[in-house]
Amino acid sequence: MTGHKTPAGPKTPAGHDDQTGRTVHVVGRGVVGRRLHRMLGERAVTVHEPRALDLSAICEGDVVVLALGTAHAPLVPSLLERGAHVVTVGDTLDDVRELLALDGFALRRGTTLVVGAAMAPGLSGLIARHLASQLHVVDEIHIAHHGTAGPACARDHHQSLRGWAPGWHDGEWVDSFCGSGRELCWFPEPIGALDCYRARMASPILLQHSFPGVKRVSARRSARRRDRLTARLPMLSPPHQEGGVGALRVELRGGAADGSRQCVIAGIAELVGTTTAATAAAFATMIIDEGLPIGVVVPGDENLPTTELLRRTTSYGVRLQEFTGIPQPS
Amino acid sequence: MKLVRRVLAALTMAGIAAVGIRLGGGGGVPPQHGGWRPLDLPPRNNERE
Repeated sequence: MTGHKTPAGPKTPAGHDDQTGRTVHVVGRGVVGRRLHRMLGERAVTVHEPRALDLSAICEGDVVVLALGTAHAPLVPSLLERGAHVVTVGDTLDDVRELLALDGFALRRGTTLVVGAAMAPGLSGLIARHLASQLHVVDEIHIAHHGTAGPACARDHHQSLRGWAPGWHDGEWVDSFCGSGRELCWFPEPIGALDCYRARMASPILLQHSFPGVKRVSARRSARRRDRLTARLPMLSPPHQEGGVGALRVELRGGAADGSRQCVIAGIAELVGTTTAATAAAFATMIIDEGLPIGVVVPGDENLPTTELLRRTTSYGVRLQEFTGIPQPS
Repeated sequence: MKLVRRVLAALTMAGIAAVGIRLGGGGGVPPQHGGWRPLDLPPRNNERE
């Protein structure tokens, strides 16, 4: 792909890709926005300040990646109205529900709206779809993740441990108390085993959207005792500029063709900001290069080129790993 | 005095029970193999998508 390589800096000029004539607009200058800009360096990229987003710079067919720390849904209709494809990385429950409701709007405009192209949701859905190909029937999907990207993500993490956490249980939504359901989850090294708890996250909603036939979907996140205790209070200390190495674990349970029960597990251990940027970059470049279905698209949907999306994500340095609970021949 | 004796007796019994559980509870040997390994994606020409 030959395109204008835009210089890094606060004011990035707009440019069009030489081959496709389409630009990737990154809205947000946080950890994910900056890393995404670097990953898409070979393409035409424009970085926008969220508070001063100039819609006139966005043309029909362009791809807009919303890497915001605030709600994405209020911005999306105006972007779709301009004929742009939109990739969102948010995982706030209410925001994701509003984005899913924009399916008809995106369909009428003939554009793609990718909801939740981050680590979880996002890469978790892609991994789940990949693992699903190893099972004859998928009954349960359980994900767990650890770590945060930038300060906005850390604040989301803090808030997600208060209130009620949605979970899909035997065909109906069951709200559980956030911070309950402790489970010791084993992540890839160097993270290892961590206690994870139910939290107010959008992952179960999106996974159930992609896998409507499964009986149970749950999502947990790692937390310390102090996180759970102080979840109802304001953050006691300002969040770090970026969290350390995070991790994701996706577990599918189901049946094999011979009727036996099977459990397959895969995951990653990587900086959350890098993983989110890589997943968003995979979707953005996929839309430009080969296109994706119009309307709302959720990572993990059956009609997506999941393997190619995973391949693109790993090309940015994210290393997928699978869990072998028993010795496996190498 | 009676209360002190009861407390001491309770603590003694708890200690004996704890020692018994600690010495008798052999948890076995945890798995020495297995773990995580790189997940290989299928090559492009084998893709069914």
